[in-house]
Amino acid sequence: MSKKVLEALRMKFGDRVDIHEQSPKRAYVAVSNADWIAVTRHMYEVEGGRLTTATGSDRSTGVELLYHFAFDREGTVVNIRTTLDKPFPKIEALTKYYPAADFIEREIFDFLGVEFVGHPDPRKILSSHDRPADFHPMRRDE
Amino acid sequence: MSTTIPIGPFHPVLEEPEYITLQVEGETVVSADIELGRIHRGMELLAEEKTFDQDVFLVERICGICSASHSWTATLAMEDIAGITVPDRARYLRTIVHELERLHSHMLWVGLAGHIIGYWTVFMWGWKYREPVLDALEAITGNRNNYAWYCPGGVRRDVPDDIWPPIVKAMDEFAEKTNLLIDVILNDPVILCRLKGVGILSKEDAIAYGVLGPTARGSGVDIDVRRDESYGAYDEVDWKVIVQPDGDCLAVGVVRLLEMIEATKIIKQCIKKLPKGEIRNEVREIPRGEGIGHIEAPRGECFHFIRSNGTNMPERHKMRAPTFLNIPSYRPRVKGETISDATLIFAVIDPCYSCTERMAAIDSDGSRVANGHDLIKLSHQRTEWLRKNL
Repeated sequence: MSKKVLEALRMKFGDRVDIHEQSPKRAYVAVSNADWIAVTRHMYEVEGGRLTTATGSDRSTGVELLYHFAFDREGTVVNIRTTLDKPFPKIEALTKYYPAADFIEREIFDFLGVEFVGHPDPRKILSSHDRPADFHPMRRDE
Repeated sequence: MSTTIPIGPFHPVLEEPEYITLQVEGETVVSADIELGRIHRGMELLAEEKTFDQDVFLVERICGICSASHSWTATLAMEDIAGITVPDRARYLRTIVHELERLHSHMLWVGLAGHIIGYWTVFMWGWKYREPVLDALEAITGNRNNYAWYCPGGVRRDVPDDIWPPIVKAMDEFAEKTNLLIDVILNDPVILCRLKGVGILSKEDAIAYGVLGPTARGSGVDIDVRRDESYGAYDEVDWKVIVQPDGDCLAVGVVRLLEMIEATKIIKQCIKKLPKGEIRNEVREIPRGEGIGHIEAPRGECFHFIRSNGTNMPERHKMRAPTFLNIPSYRPRVKGETISDATLIFAVIDPCYSCTERMAAIDSDGSRVANGHDLIKLSHQRTEWLRKNL
């Protein structure tokens, strides 16, 4: 496992990160909305993780974001998780600091209606052109 | 004063619908915008209504070329949730089919690249050399595409030992033909003029845009999930990751050409070392949990995330194909280039395209008059006639 990455997260963010090591190659880290951008930026800018993709899902607790950071040299994946409040989920965009997140965050906006504050190009990406602006196909509450 | 040039959504060079808007000043591209979504099929929602077994078949149909990649990735994610191990023979059989897929995908791209730059000989040769690979896939799995080969715990079918000698021979011939193509492409000044220094993606941009596979390796980013994650049988055979530093169209092409040689080596070693024994471990259930599978598909890393709630259907199945992350790198790549290179630069990431038809000439009354071999024979006769008479 990326012991060094997880130790650095513990050192920098202390109790504010909840780390669960599922297996030697996979870890899941839960953070609050307030720490979200600091932790994801830390993963890319300091630790050199590669954002492979992000999973957005509508769960009973709210809209969950799960960003998957791969550490290719170790062959591990560290997943950063946070849950946003419905009905208007909103969070700062990682795209401002990491261009790879561009399409990924646009997809989550498109299907789940998450507003990424500061995203340079917040358009829908995959759904059809006549989709109503307030309809997001993967939301379960509508 | 800039002019807007639309490409697509249906364009002779891009076989799949994508809409690109180029802003040009004179002949020079100043910016580009890409619109996706014309082929979206809602598979992530559909996957939540299928059982885990059915899901493997569903993801296989994401792409005709990468059908082994997606189904292997999904099974790896399911195995990650349930902690399932795979028998040695299945690991090797999985690797062989996946590398054959890499061969035919890369050769298809080489042909298309020849088509785009107007070098039809490369197109014809490339696609002809690709056929024996599809024949090998058909011999092993029963299908040229959509193999139904992978399942949680192993592979679906076993194959008899006498199937392998013709495939080893086909791999030797394929490597020989690929070396010929490499020789032709790297020594042709016209091809070099068309590819060298065109559409450069710097290493810094490649990392910032998170590009994958040959696109990343052509820009000097040394990533390959086969080596890094060491799934399948990749850590038990001898091969190397091909990296080129230049970042231009030529570098990406060279990566794909040399990777084909490596893939033939992997396949031959896997066939030689293929263990005997079981092909599948029984899977009774996928318990509650979350799992990740990622592998090196021909175009780059393919990534699946599955969340199970303990039922026989996934609660969430996220799928991400490599092209999704490779496409945004088109913008820095095309800026400052000419319009004539714009389509080639787009094609260099190898956007997904599927082709499963066999070639057969049909007369107007519906009867078959010639197959592929007949047409090649006719072509040879015509060439001979031209030699004598011109």
